[in-house]
Parts: sequence; structure tokens; C-alpha cells
Amino acid sequence: MADWRAYVREHLGSLHETQVQQEEVASELAGHMEEYYEALRVRGLGDEEAFAQTCARAGKWEELRRGIISAKQEGSMADRVRQFWVPSLVTLACSWGALAILIWAEVRPLTTHPGKPGSVILYVPWLFCLPLIGALGGYLSRRAQGSVWRIYVAGLFPALAVVPVFLLTFPFAFVADPQVAPDFRFTALVATTISWVILPGIALCLGVALQGLSKAQGANR
Amino acid sequence: MIRTELKRGTAELAVLSVLEEGPLHGYEIGRRIEEQSGGTLRYTLAALYPLLYRMEHRGWLRGDWETGDSGKRRRCYRLLQRGRKMLKPMRAEWADLFHALRRVAKVTHG
Repeated sequence: MADWRAYVREHLGSLHETQVQQEEVASELAGHMEEYYEALRVRGLGDEEAFAQTCARAGKWEELRRGIISAKQEGSMADRVRQFWVPSLVTLACSWGALAILIWAEVRPLTTHPGKPGSVILYVPWLFCLPLIGALGGYLSRRAQGSVWRIYVAGLFPALAVVPVFLLTFPFAFVADPQVAPDFRFTALVATTISWVILPGIALCLGVALQGLSKAQGANR
Repeated sequence: MIRTELKRGTAELAVLSVLEEGPLHGYEIGRRIEEQSGGTLRYTLAALYPLLYRMEHRGWLRGDWETGDSGKRRRCYRLLQRGRKMLKPMRAEWADLFHALRRVAKVTHG
């Protein structure tokens, strides 16, 4: 009897998947071919005829390979949307929405050096909201079976999204205003990064971590 | 014999319909469809498996490895709620298509 697994491996080629995933697909297809072959033999077909008909039933291997790759890619794209983009955009919208409400309500931020551009600005109620928002992002990504990396990036997205904005706007602002001293520019960059990236990032990260912890404890019970 | 392109379009409905009866592995899905269609619908591996994987990623089906009585490990597909919900509109769509074809192309049974 033919070694169907070896036959499938030889004809299928690479699926651009991990070794384990590639083997799983090969095992499944080989199992199908083996059962088809056995059914033909039971019906009374000779070995050669049954083998030929089973091989014909596979169809075009290149078509099968491309079909599987395309199906898996469609799946990974859908996974990326559910595990990363949806939770990330939810956390971003909630975070900015909460900040907008505080500004609209004229809540005054705490500032380390009032009136100076190098001052760290803290919207304290907003910072207290962020762990909840981070936890929500983490929960949505975890529910969609996201990896640890995706869960944390989705939860931290509101802080991470600000980084490219800074990277683009600060150099432009520094070039546009040559009157500002270089040490002052650096202080302003550090203060802004602490206010809008580092502290919110810590708060969001705390929320994701606590949510993960409570989920793990729930599973242990 | 029905042309390949025409059969492809029917595959989603055929797979969901046989899985509505209960969980099945790939070979059994193909065999049931062939049997229930009187041999008219026969899918090659190249037609069946990419479709199964696509439907699985869409959340219509779930495939789990199981060991049968014979000791063989096979991937068994189950219809999920989302797939079950797709069946009704899909059946209505095909019924509309057949109805329209009957009128336009004067297609009749028998």
C-alpha cells in the first residue's frame, strides 16, 4: 500500500506555514486519500486502478497548494483584525473619548512646572481610567484568542499611537523654530513623552496585566 | 457531468448542509455529498480542503483532531452557530437562482 503521507508531502510543496501546521495539513490530506483508496479496494478495484483513481481525486496539486495558502492567509488577515485592530481601535477611541470629556468638562491637569513648555502634564482622572481601557483592549484581544504580544499591543495602542505623531511633528517643529535652544527642545520632548506615552503606557499596561491575571485565576478555580 | 466552475459555487452550501447532520471528517464530507447528490457533486481535494479551511477561519466550522475507533487520527469538522446562521440565506439564494434559471433558460426537472 502506498505511503500517502509521503506522497502528499512530495506533491504539495511548501505552504509557507510552520513545520507543525504543514504536517497537520499533510496528515489530513493523506488520511483522506488513504480512506478513498481503501474504499475503492473494498469495491473490488485492483491496486493500480485504485491508486490511479485516488491520485486523480486529489485534483491539481498546484491549485490545492495555492488554495490552501490563500485560505490560510484570509484566515490570518481575519485573525489580525479580530485580535489586534478591533481591540486597538476600541482602546484608542475610549482613551481619546475619555480625555475629550475631561477637557470638555474643563478638568484642569496637574503640571510639574506651570507655564513652562518643558512641563509634564497629568490628567489624573484620565490616568485612572486608562487601566480599565487597557483591560478592555486586552480582554477583546484575548477573547479573539490573540497572542500575548497582540494582547499587550492592543491594550497599549493609545500610548503607542502617539509615538509616530511625536516622531513626525517634533523634528518639524524644531526645524521650523530655530530660535528655541537645543536643550529646551530636548526637555520639551522628554516631558511630552512622559505625559502622553510613558505614564499612559504604564497605566494601560497595568490594566492589561491585571485583566490577564484575573483571567488566569478564574481558569485555575 | 456538471462543470468544475459551476460545482465550486455549490460547495459551500453542500458542505454546510451535510455538516448540519453532525460532525464529519474531510473524506466523509466528500463521500456524503457525492452519495446524496447521486454522484453528481464530486469534489477533488483541491476544491474541498481550501474551502474547509476558509470556512473554518470565517468561524463557520471548527476542525478538531480526534482518534476514531480504528485508532486513526482524523480532523473532524463541526458546524458552528455562525455557519448554521449562513445556511438559511444561502438556501434561499440558491432557490431564487434556480427559480430564475427555470424561467430564463426554460430549465425543467427530468
